[in-house]
Parts: sequence; C-alpha cells; structure tokens
Amino acid sequence: MLDDTKKIFIQESEELLEQMENALLEMEQVPDDAEHLNSVFRAIHTIKGAAGIFGFDAIVAFTHPVESVMDNVRNGIRLVDPDLVALLLKCKDHTANLVESISDGQEDISEALLEAGQTLLDELNPEQKSGALDVVKNKRENIEVSDRKNASDDNWVISLDFKSDALRNGLDPLSFINYLKRMGEIVEIITFTHDFPCWEDMEPESCYLSFRIALLSSASKEEIKSVFEFAMDDCELRIIPPRSELEKYLALLEELTGEELNKLGELLIQVGALTEQELSNALQVQSSVLSDDAATQEVKPLGEILVEQHVVSKGVVDKAVEKQESIREKIAQETQYIRVDADRLGQLINLVGELVISNAAVKLLVEKHDLADVQEVVNGVEGLVENIRDHALQLRMVQIGDTFSRFRRVVRDVSKDLNKDVELVITGGEAELDKTVVEKINDPLTHLVRNSLDHGFETPEERVAQGKPKKGVLRLNALHDSGHIVIQIADDGAGLDTKKIRKKAEEKGLIYAGQELSHREILRLIFEPGLTTKDTASNISGRGVGMDVVKRNIDALRGSIEVDSERGKGTLVTIHLPLTLAIIEGFMVGVEKERFVIPLSMVEECVEMDTNEWHLDKNSHYVNLRGQVMPYIKLSEFFGVNYQHGRRGRESLVVVRVGRAKAGIVVDRLFGELQTVIKPLGKVFQGLKGVSGATVLGSGDIALILDVQGLIGLASAKASDVKTLESV
Amino acid sequence: MAKTILVVDDSASIRQVVGIALKGAGYDVIQACDGKDALGKMSGQKINLIISDVNMPNMDGISFLKEVKQHPKYKFTPVIMLTTEAGQGKMAEGRAAGAKAWVVKPFQPPQMLDAVAKLVLP
Repeated sequence: MLDDTKKIFIQESEELLEQMENALLEMEQVPDDAEHLNSVFRAIHTIKGAAGIFGFDAIVAFTHPVESVMDNVRNGIRLVDPDLVALLLKCKDHTANLVESISDGQEDISEALLEAGQTLLDELNPEQKSGALDVVKNKRENIEVSDRKNASDDNWVISLDFKSDALRNGLDPLSFINYLKRMGEIVEIITFTHDFPCWEDMEPESCYLSFRIALLSSASKEEIKSVFEFAMDDCELRIIPPRSELEKYLALLEELTGEELNKLGELLIQVGALTEQELSNALQVQSSVLSDDAATQEVKPLGEILVEQHVVSKGVVDKAVEKQESIREKIAQETQYIRVDADRLGQLINLVGELVISNAAVKLLVEKHDLADVQEVVNGVEGLVENIRDHALQLRMVQIGDTFSRFRRVVRDVSKDLNKDVELVITGGEAELDKTVVEKINDPLTHLVRNSLDHGFETPEERVAQGKPKKGVLRLNALHDSGHIVIQIADDGAGLDTKKIRKKAEEKGLIYAGQELSHREILRLIFEPGLTTKDTASNISGRGVGMDVVKRNIDALRGSIEVDSERGKGTLVTIHLPLTLAIIEGFMVGVEKERFVIPLSMVEECVEMDTNEWHLDKNSHYVNLRGQVMPYIKLSEFFGVNYQHGRRGRESLVVVRVGRAKAGIVVDRLFGELQTVIKPLGKVFQGLKGVSGATVLGSGDIALILDVQGLIGLASAKASDVKTLESV
Repeated sequence: MAKTILVVDDSASIRQVVGIALKGAGYDVIQACDGKDALGKMSGQKINLIISDVNMPNMDGISFLKEVKQHPKYKFTPVIMLTTEAGQGKMAEGRAAGAKAWVVKPFQPPQMLDAVAKLVLP
C-alpha cells in the first residue's frame, strides 16, 4: 500500500512544487501580484495537508512554518522582498528534497536534511530564532503526528477528483462525503483547490475540487465504492485500502482452498481487493489493446494493468498470482485421470441435452396450468440440470495447449527446410474448448502455420536488410471471448501484398478490374478458391488450395476467420470458434408461425420497430440503426414464409456480429433466450444456406438454428451487389 | 431548512410510498402525476432533487428530464429515475438526458433513501 500512496503523493507534490516555483519566479518580477501569492500559498498548503494524510511528518513539520509565513505575506503583515523570494525558493527546493527522500524509500529523514530544514526555518523567522525549534515541535504535537502515523496505516485513503462538469450534472460533492460517514469515521479530509484557475477564468458552474479522505472503516472496498456509484461518470475515484485491509487480503488469499482454478480477477474479487467494475474496466483496457490492428502484439497480463491503474497494489497481485500457481500445481498433483470412451461421453452429453429439453417442456406445462407450488421445484430442477449440463460439457473440454505444442516441431522442421529462422511463442495454452472442436481445428491450424512460415517470413538476410531482428517470431495465442474461443496466429514477417492479391484476383476473374475494395476486402480475397500469390508452388504451400479450405473448415465449426496484415510488419489471422458444438445458448425469434434460434453469443442487440431507431433502405439493402449502417436480411423473405392473415405491422431487428462483421436480421417477434441442443440436419439438407441445424423446443415444435455467419455473408453480398450496380 | 424533493409518478401508491419514506427521513415532498404536472408544480419552488418515473401519460420521464435540463433554474438539479425498465437502452437514454441515478421498481424504501442521501445533503 505504501507504494501506491507514496506514488500519488509524490506525483502530486512534484506538480505543486513546480507551480510554486513558477509563481515565486513571477513574484520576483511583480512582488504584489495577489494571484501569485495565493498560488504559492495554496501549493504549500496542499502539500502540507497531503503529507499529513499520508503520514509524512517531516514534511508537515517543515511546510507548516513556511505556510504561516506565506499566510502573513498574503495578509500584508510581511512584505515581499527579493531576499524572501530567494529564501522561499530555497524552501521549495528543500521540500522537493524531502519528497525525493521519500520516493527513494527512506523511512527516516537524514539528520543532515533535518538540519538544513531547521536552518532555513530559522532564516525565515529571524525574530523567533531561539524558539523556532519549539514552534516546530509544538506544531508537531498540535497535529498529532504520531497518532496519525498509526492511523494512516489503518485508514482507507480515498482520492476523489471531481470533473469540471460535476456540478452541472447535478452532483453535490459534499453529499457524497456526507454519505461516506455512514461507512465509518472520516479521520481527515483535505480539499485540494490547486486546480482553481485565476478569478477571471473561473466559471462558477464548474467544479475544481479534489479531495483526499482518510476513512476509518470496516466496510469493504466494494461498499465504499458504492457510495460514489452515482458520481462514477463525473469523478476520478481511487480507493487505497489500509494496511490492515491489505493484510486481510493476503491472509484471505492464503486461506483460499483451491478446488477450482480461478482467474486472477475472480481471486481478487473473492477476497475483496477488487470490485467488479474495476475488473471490467481493466478487462476493457486489455481487450482494447487486443483489438488494435497491429499484427504482432502481446496481451498485457491483467495483473500489470491493475497495478498500473493503481487499483490493486503489486503485493496483492503477486500474492494472488502465486496462489494461482500453487492451486494449479495442487490440482495437477491431485488430479487423477480415468480414461473414458469418447462415445460414452458423447452419449452422456446427448442425454443431458434431452434432459434440458424435457425440463423446458415441464416448465411450459407448469406455466400453462399455473401450478405455483410445482414452480419452485421445477426451478430447482432447472438449476440442477444446468449444473449437470455444464459439468458434462466440462468433461469433454481439453486445453488447447497440447494442440499448440505440436507446432513446435512443425515450426522447427519447416523453417529449417526453408532456411528461415523462426521462433514459436505460445500463449493462452490453458484456454479450454470441446475436444471435438480441437480435433477439427488441427488441420486448419497446420495450414495457417505452414503458410505463415512459407509466405510470411523472410529469410534471415532479408530481415536483417530490412532492419528487423534476424529471428522471426510466430505467435500462437488463445483466449476466451464471450462464449467463443479466439485463436490468433501472428507473424512478424513480410505481410500480405495487397497489390499482388488484387492482380491475381483480377486474373482469376474474382473481381472486376478497378473494382473499389477496402484494404480488408482485398485481404479477404485470399479465402477465395484458387487464389495464391506465390508464383511457384512448393511442397509446403502455394497451390492456392489452402486458405479456402481453411475457411470452409472453420465455417463448418460455426466459426469465423479474419485476416489482418500490414506490408512489412506482419500478418495476424484471428479465428473465432464456439466452445462446444453440442449445446448452444440461443435467442429465439419468430416469423409468422416459424421459430428460429440465433446463437446468443452472436447477438449484439435487439431493437423493436416502433422505437424509430432504425429504418430499412430497401433499395440499397442497408439498415440504418442510429446512424450505423449495416446490411440486413429479412427472414420472412429469405425463407419465403407465407402469411395467412396478412403481414403483422411490427417488426424487430436483431443485430448479429461475427468477428467484425455485423448485420441486421429482421424478424416479426422476439421470444428471448433459451438453451438448446443442436440436432444436426440430415444429409439431404446439409447444403442449405442460412441454416446450421435444428432443435426441438419444449413445446415439441421444431426450430431452425440460423447460420449467422452464412446469413451475414448473404446479406453483405446482396448489399454490395446493389452498391456495385449503382457505382457502375 | 428541510430539502425539497419532487416526486413524479403516475401511480398514486408509488407516490405515497416514496412520499412517506422521504418525509420520514426529514425531506419536504412535492408530488406530481406526470411530467407536465411536475413542470407546473415546480415553477418558483426551490427543488433539491427530482425523483421521476419513466413511463407516464402526457409527458414521459425522459422528455420531462430533457425539459428540466433546459430550465435555467433547475438545470443542475439531480434526477433519480424510478422505473421498472432496467433495460440498457432506456438507461442509456436516461443517462444521456442527464439522469444521475436509477432505482428499479420494485424497491425497498431504504434503497430509495440511500440513493437520495448520496445526492442531497439532509
């Protein structure tokens, strides 16, 4: 904790000291300027206050007399002369030294420094020379430094910086602080006013206040945070736990019995060191880095982000990571394996699927007959069934790490054959997915890795000539993203040559000469059959039967594949796959009497017609949703549904997303979420577009599961057809 | 001086519950049954906080909120939205219009008082 508080204090003090110096230098020129006087006073006052709250006695002892002198100057009791300004500058330097000695980690201020301070103070108050030391001493006692020192270790320190719009947004900082009193005792509160501009620039409606609050409380971090829940948008809030709390976290972490391997964030929330919101913020930061377009990037560990944001102190994160490791080891030691026939597992999962459906049927009946007493039991059963389902699926989950590791050999052998120097870096190997998916992903991955080795990486000589490190880096990464697993294959090789791809595509007649295409659209062409940019085919790749097969394989797994590349920098291939093929969380929609299920993980949002938030452009086949334009498909038209009683007036839009591609699906009714077992379609129907399977509903009706990937493709094709026609 | 809170809801029972809870906590309460009514009743009054329903006849909560945020005298008054709709869309709309807090019905009076206490001094 001390590290975090120190950092905040040091950073703030340095800024304030700089302000103070500037103001002092101005004072040398214009001695009577009230604004500069105030500025110096405010700076020293704030430093004193903050030092008090954080328990740095030496700084309080020194800055207090300086503040008194400045107060006298401000009130006209003492006059400004060049000597005084020079002395004050020295005082500023001395304060900076004190602050620095804290940042160096010295617990006690050295004798020499203390003496230097005393000399300065003596110079500052010549007439009180004899009593100066006593004055300092008295002041020390007055502010009960020793008491606070103990207290500061046991206080929550809340740093609350209101944004300038806070008042305009109807917030009263005082009311929050007042409410905070319910959480415990406010030991100390410092109001920072150093953000105040000079009077001419001040807007009375703006808020310039920041607070540092020392709170003695037994509340949890989450509880303290909830006090400021309504102010979240309008303030910067940092809550630093007291040392005792910190020890509590560490103790709790120590006590955690590891039966399950939890994620770092979950561990920290469990012991109360982290709030849910802080975690989601940090995850957002993490994923925003991830979605950047750079081809070769590393995902920052969550722990580092949390420490950087001053949310959790490093000690706690380290402890949690350590715990995670030890749990992992323990699990590894304790786990015993039983070999089970995969078919038997398959049967079990199938049966569980049936159970889910039967349960849904029972639920329907209970609701239909309004059996309130049965309801509760049914809900209990539902919970159990869900639990069984999760565990059954878990049985088939395997870590992707083994699959990744196999490529070490591939990379070594192939790069040797090609006289290339490539290192394989594997991350996220602990991400789990269904064994059936793992088996099917092996081939496409091999293709991609070989492709990258063959086309992607330059020879060591070429790399050196381009100023790149001699050794190329191929990264395999896996992570979970909202019910999907994301697999990334990144290289720092030559990248794709869009001009060449274009030329080839024109030669093959895939596009017209001069057709307008975005960078991404050109890159996507590599998934078209028959396209290869390598002039000579090798035994590793280059026959143009690769990427289209890869794409087809991934499509068959209800996944998606995207490629991103920058010439000279590298290529990133991202694959999104569902975690399992057996059961999906779906969103049910209806058209006339038909029912369709959209995989929930692909649903972005649902909008009803009458909200006026969206409208269709039937000519160009685009839907405009709050200014965002995307292709759409109308299910009733697509499946040729006959309306018996004429059209219903009200339609709804379901926005779906796969990877970066978005599209709208226009339906008549929204039914809501359900989980359902996927029944594969018979051989006859396997060529059907837009449908990936079927499922039996609780009512016994059949619903088709939509192939969102395919629908998006069809919708975009339709939309761009029109676009091309128009542009011709 | 006691702080004044304006409660806007078309349901008389909700107004009553909220009113009793707030009065019990020492606030003065003005009640109105929809946005239009509220705008009429608040004029000239000093209002420290507004608690408003979303779905109301005549003028709904969001439009009312927008009016309030336009009003020179009341534009900085904090607003708590009170509603059965916890939908993200509505919430975003309310936030954009300037609502600070959101209490979802059904709620317990202490929950409401907590939200109030965070926004106005007693």
